[in-house]
This record gives sequence, structure tokens and C-alpha cells, in this order.
Amino acid sequence: MNFETIYFEIIDEKMHVYEHESGLKAFLIPKKGYYKKYAAVGVNYGSADNAFVIPGENQVTRVPDGVAHFLEHKLFEQKDGNVMDKFSRIGSNPNAYTAFNQTVYLFSATGLFIENFKLLLDFIQNPYITSESVENEKGIIGQEIRMYQDDPRWRVFFNLLNAFYAENPVRIDIAGSIDSIGEIDREILYKCYTTFYHPSNAVILTVGDVEPEEVFGEVEKKIINKNRQGKIKRIKPGREIKPVKKYIQQKLSVSLPVFQMGFMDNKSFKSSSDLLFHEMAVKILLELILGRSTGLYNRLYEEGLINSTFDADVTIEEDFAFSVFGGESPEPEKVRDKILNYIDTVKKNLDIKDFDRARKAMYGRFVRQFNSIEKIAHSFMSTYFKNYYLFDYFSAYDKINFEYAMDVLISHFNEESMALSVIKPV
Amino acid sequence: MENMEAIPDVKEIAQHEGMKINLLETAKFKTSSISIFFHNILGMNSVTKNALLPAVMRRGTKSLPRFKDIARRLQEMYGATFDCGVLKKGDIQLIQFYIEFLSDKYIKKDTSLFDESLKLIFDIINEPLIENGGFVNDYLSQEKENLKRLINSRANDKVQYAVDKCFEEMGRDEPYGLYEYGNINDIGEIGPKELYGQYKNMLAAYPASIYITGDNDEKCIKDKSRMFSEIKRSNINEKALPGIVYEKREIREINEKMGVNQAKLSMGYRTNTAPGDEDYYAMLIYNGILGGGVNSKLFKNIREKSSLAYYVFSRMDKFKGLMVISSGIDGKNRKKVQDITNRQVEQMAKGNVSNAEFEDTVKTIETGIKSLKDNHLQIIDFYLGQDIANTRDSFESILEGIKAVNLDDVVRVAGKVELDTIYYLSRE
Repeated sequence: MNFETIYFEIIDEKMHVYEHESGLKAFLIPKKGYYKKYAAVGVNYGSADNAFVIPGENQVTRVPDGVAHFLEHKLFEQKDGNVMDKFSRIGSNPNAYTAFNQTVYLFSATGLFIENFKLLLDFIQNPYITSESVENEKGIIGQEIRMYQDDPRWRVFFNLLNAFYAENPVRIDIAGSIDSIGEIDREILYKCYTTFYHPSNAVILTVGDVEPEEVFGEVEKKIINKNRQGKIKRIKPGREIKPVKKYIQQKLSVSLPVFQMGFMDNKSFKSSSDLLFHEMAVKILLELILGRSTGLYNRLYEEGLINSTFDADVTIEEDFAFSVFGGESPEPEKVRDKILNYIDTVKKNLDIKDFDRARKAMYGRFVRQFNSIEKIAHSFMSTYFKNYYLFDYFSAYDKINFEYAMDVLISHFNEESMALSVIKPV
Repeated sequence: MENMEAIPDVKEIAQHEGMKINLLETAKFKTSSISIFFHNILGMNSVTKNALLPAVMRRGTKSLPRFKDIARRLQEMYGATFDCGVLKKGDIQLIQFYIEFLSDKYIKKDTSLFDESLKLIFDIINEPLIENGGFVNDYLSQEKENLKRLINSRANDKVQYAVDKCFEEMGRDEPYGLYEYGNINDIGEIGPKELYGQYKNMLAAYPASIYITGDNDEKCIKDKSRMFSEIKRSNINEKALPGIVYEKREIREINEKMGVNQAKLSMGYRTNTAPGDEDYYAMLIYNGILGGGVNSKLFKNIREKSSLAYYVFSRMDKFKGLMVISSGIDGKNRKKVQDITNRQVEQMAKGNVSNAEFEDTVKTIETGIKSLKDNHLQIIDFYLGQDIANTRDSFESILEGIKAVNLDDVVRVAGKVELDTIYYLSRE
């Protein structure tokens, strides 16, 4: 079996790459000296894939909200019982999560890696969904939805996405709603499974102290479907760049208002490296405008308008892209106004010394991620379906210069594309 | 397995008047770290002031007087992370200061981030910014407001809140019953000089433990950490041990109302087992079988079979020998969930535990313990916990202790578990 090995000198890490005949790729990032051995299967299918054309068909299939997440729950059910039991029997912890564009199944173990790995590859290829178990799951997921309804940080974020987008399915809660999951049945789940859970629409990642021959050999043996699949046409609304609403609010049982605000990004990307550079530039700019070393952060903090919960992040995907920042504040609207004013000032006189310092800090934080097997895996998965590797961050850092960042500063941080979401106390 | 680099144990390398310096020497991680913990028994008079201390101290030092200055310094140090705060382990309140930075191998020039980081964290604890014989009044008044808000927003995370409240209620007559961030009514009166006095007392008299991790050799760290002997220490407090209450009490029920979509049910138990007891390992397994994970009795019966909850788990506080079972449910199902929980606890005591349940749980716990060694902060937390509980376990000895337990032991310790408090959070 052939595989390729890439060495990243700057961080002293390696990556082995193998391609299965179905088109499925498998990766191994070895971590010598680590006890945990981690493996994941990522499927390029998430909550935002709610309308699509099945390969070989002509008409569009639309499914209720929350199907990808529901399927993630149901896949653990197997003909001979819950696969969780089998993982437990060999002492490992299986888990799974659903995001906008992907569903990831994973386990971490400290022994019997191959046994666990086989189990993972088996169960994702063998769904066993009964109508009875679908009904049972509705109660469980219903409680999961209710739990998130009481979570101010989750609510404030999804409300912001609803202020941003009129059409884009990222505005919909990943688990769907109590009503939408009511419509889900066995047939819908199987239809989505057959469409999206094809090897060529998935990726396998292993992180830990294991040998490439061993892992890739198992992939070669275990992946049954060797045919290539036709392209799944995903029906996506056009990229939206102006918010539907500039302000959105909800009341929940909180003591202090919780807020998140952000800018919708309007850049279209020619390539995946284009997208990556842009994402990194926004990240550095957020640090430069809103980070703890800035005049703005310090003034807002001293005036009691923000506290240490204040934080910023960015999401750049082809179909949706935005920055988000926020925390708790007695007066979120005042924070918004001050941030907008400050951005105008920064646009006029961004200091190259500040830029260099922020860039250096980003480098260190990025290297630190490689301490953690989970963080490596999570970053890998979230970048992989955007067609780049997490290691590409390092080469991108060197290429982002002051002028590039200035351009992004002007285009991204634009008042017209900004919205504010607030959770107010009842 | 070949190339398996064993993580050496944390080793005490020096002592300076009640300050213990410990080293974990390893090249496994990309970063190194320095953590400093001051220990004190939770007390009505000190808890709130101690919660304010790190919040004010992080605002500025004599050489870096503004928060911004410290933040810029950290950026220059390749995005080193500094943080501080308070935490609770048993009856002990810990005031923590922590800095993490890239190991020298991953930076391009030949400065040592270790020296710079040590200097920064040392200045924060030993050279805070002072005016008129006290802390800076502006910093203090801002942090008092922040602390009030933090205490008030405690219930924002309902899952965590419902667990913590139940533990606190069980320890209401002990230091453990205090919230580690203190009491909102005590904040108002604290002035800059008074807090500075508290700071002096912390620095001089609180037992302290320092943990250093990274690719540094012992001799070098021993030399560099001499710096800590510049701190003037006197009348050092006795190191306190968290106590366990063994009295049997009537079951108490606490109902709290809030505008929530999902009710939270927390049931609190006394395990009557201390971390140094012979039964401790068996109790760990007991907790695992009952509610440790996706294979536990509670998860199986409340979630998988009855579809009554998305999450349900049991969690132990080893320092106090307490256990809480918590779930998020529909209010109309409260009785059902409580009945199933009671039944599962009874099943444990009756010995209705299968070999598979027992063996799977043992393996899961072993995996969990081994996994801790992949994170330097968890390694520190493990050793800090040993120090506070006054036990001397290593990762290996815990694994051995667990291996030595059999199913009968688990059933025997199940008999010691007693329901003490039921905490219920709901809409009306």
C-alpha cells in the first residue's frame, strides 16, 4: 500500500496521507509519547445540507431541519445493539458531533487501537435504523434542544446568524426544532445516509502514536464500497452579504445582558489558499482591534462595558463568512457604537508595530494547539473540507503582510454588514 | 510500545517556608508553564477578598502598570497566556496564577521565554501596582463591579449551576458550602488598603505550591526558582485537610424557580468514603457504573430506554466524599426520573451489577486516567489534588488500586451511599 509522508519542520510534526480506491483519503498525524490514540471519520455533510440533488436524479430533495444531527445520533444503533457498548467493552470513549458542513464520529483510546478503529469503520458503514428507535430518539433530541434553549451563549449566536441571513441554512439550529424533528422518519434518514455517507464524501483521520501501515492497511481492508460516486449537487442560496436585521434580541433568565455582534464578509474566493489568507487576516485584525492589548478593549473594560468573557472569532466558508465577538455587558448597544468608532480610527492609522506583535502572538497560539490531540483533530476536520490542511496556517502566516491586512480591514469591518444580537434578562 | 516516552512523576525540587516547588520535566509538549497556587480554608471573612485579589493583581505591576502593558508583553512573548483566578477543592480555596509559553525549540531567536515568563508571573504576585499604601482604587472598584456581576451570572450555565448548588447545599454547614467567588454582600465594604492587607497575608502566610512543566532540567529550574525565596514569609498557616462528614441526616429537598425551558434535577449523596480510604478505588468504580458515561446504568435507563433526558451523569467530589446525579428533564417527568434513579442506586446496593458493567467501567476509568497524562495542566491538577487530599497516589498507583478492586468490593461500598439532598430547578 502506498502512502505519502509530509514533514513540517517549523513545528516538528509529520503527516502521512493515503488514498483509498473509492476516493476516500486517510491521514495520520503521529504523536510520539502520547497515550491517547484518536481516530475520526468526518463526513462532508452537516446541518446546512438540507436541499440537494441525489446523484443520478434530477429533482431536488428537501429534508426537515436537523436530519444530519439526528442521523449522527442514530448511527450508533446497530443490528446487534448500541455500538457504544462495544466501545466501552474495550475501554474507549466514542463520540460524535454535527456542524454546519460536517458530521464527525470519533473515539479516543489508550489501548487496543486497531480493535477500536475497526469498530469505528464498521459502524459508520452499517446503519440499522428502525421506526421504533427513531421515535425513541425524538424524546432524547427534544431534551437536547431544550437544553440549548436555556443556554444564552448558544442562543445569542444563533440569533445573530438569524439577523445575518435570510436564506442560508446556517441560520437554523443544528439539531433542528421540536417540530422539525417530529417530521423525521426512517426513510428520510436512510435517504440522507445513502447520499452523503459515501467513502469519497468522507475523510479518516488518526492522531496518536500509531504506525501508518497499520492504520492504512485497515482502511484498505475495511472500506467496502470501492466505487466512485457521482457529484452530489447541494442547493445553496446565493452568498448573502448584508444582514436582514441590524439588531435582534431575546429574553432569557440571565442576570446581565449577553451579546454577540459581527460583520458579514463579502469577499469571494478564487482558491482555498485565498480563503485561508483571508481568514487569517481577519483573525489578526480582530486581535488588533478587540484584543486585550488594544486601547479599545482597555477602555471598554475600565468603563465596565465589557468583562473578561469578551472574546472574538471568525468563520470563513465559501457559502457563509463572518466575524463574531461579544460577551456580557450592561449596555451592548454602547459597546457596538464604541467599536464602530474605534474601527474608523484604526482604518486611518493602523500601526505596523501593533500588526507585527499581533501576528507573532497568533503564531504562538497556533503552535500551542499542537499540544492537544483533540485540538489537532478538530482543527484538521474544520479545515479539511475547505480544501486545506491545518499545517497550511504556518506558510500563510509568513505571507500575510501589512498591506494585505489593510485591504481586509477596509473590506471586512464595514458598518453596513454589521449586526448585533442581545439576550436580555427577563 | 517502542518510543513510548513515559511521563515522569512530578517531583518536589525545593521548599521555601511553606512554598513547595514542583517540577514536571518533559519535552512532550510544545509549551512550558508555571502555575502558582496559594491555599486557604474557605472562610466567610476571607473568601470574597481572596476572589478579588487575583482580579486586581492582574491589572498591573510596578513595571507594567496597565493591563494593556501586560497584554502587549504577552504578545511579544509569542502569545504567551497568563491567567489567574480562584478555585475550590474540598474545603480549600485556591488562588491561582498561571503562565504558559512556547518552549524555546519553537521560537526563532535565542531569548528564553522561560526567564521572561518567570519574571512576569513573579512580578504579578510580588510587585503589584500600589498607590497610597493600598491597591489602585480604580482597579479595585472596577473589579468589585466585575465580581458582583460574575456572582450574579452564576446561573447562566444551568447545567453546571444545578450540580454546584447541590454540592454546596450538602456542605452548607462546612467551609465547602461557600461559593469560591464569595458573597455579593461582602464586596461593597472592601477598600484598597484592606485588600492590600489581605494580599500581604496571602503572600506571607498561605501555604503555596508552585508547579513548573516543560523541557527544563532540574538543576537549572532549581537555580532560577530561588527567586521565590525573595518573598518574605512568616506565620505560615497550617496546611488544612478537607474533612468528610459522616453523620446521617434527614433528606432535604430544595426547590429553586427560574425562567427555564428545561428543568434540572440533582440528587446528592454521601459516599462516606475519603480519598485516602481503602474503599476509595471501589467507590470510583461504583460512580462509573452508576453514572460515569454512556454505558452507565443511569444513561442506559433514563436516556436510552426511557427517552427522558439528553444528559444524565453522576459526579463525585472526592475531597468531600460526595456524589451528585444530575439531569435535564421535562418537569412533568420529575417523578419518573427520580424513581428510576432511586431504583438504579438500589440495584447497585443489591449487587445487581453484571461482570460486563464492572469490567467495562474499569477499562473506561483506566483510559481516563492514562489520558490525563497527555495534558500538562491535567497532570498538575492531579498532583495538586493529591496534595490537598493528603494522598500520595501516582497515575500508576491509582491504576494498580483500581485493578485490585473486585465486583464484591463495589457492591459492599454501594451500601455506604446515602441520599442526602434533592435539588430541583424549574420554571414554576
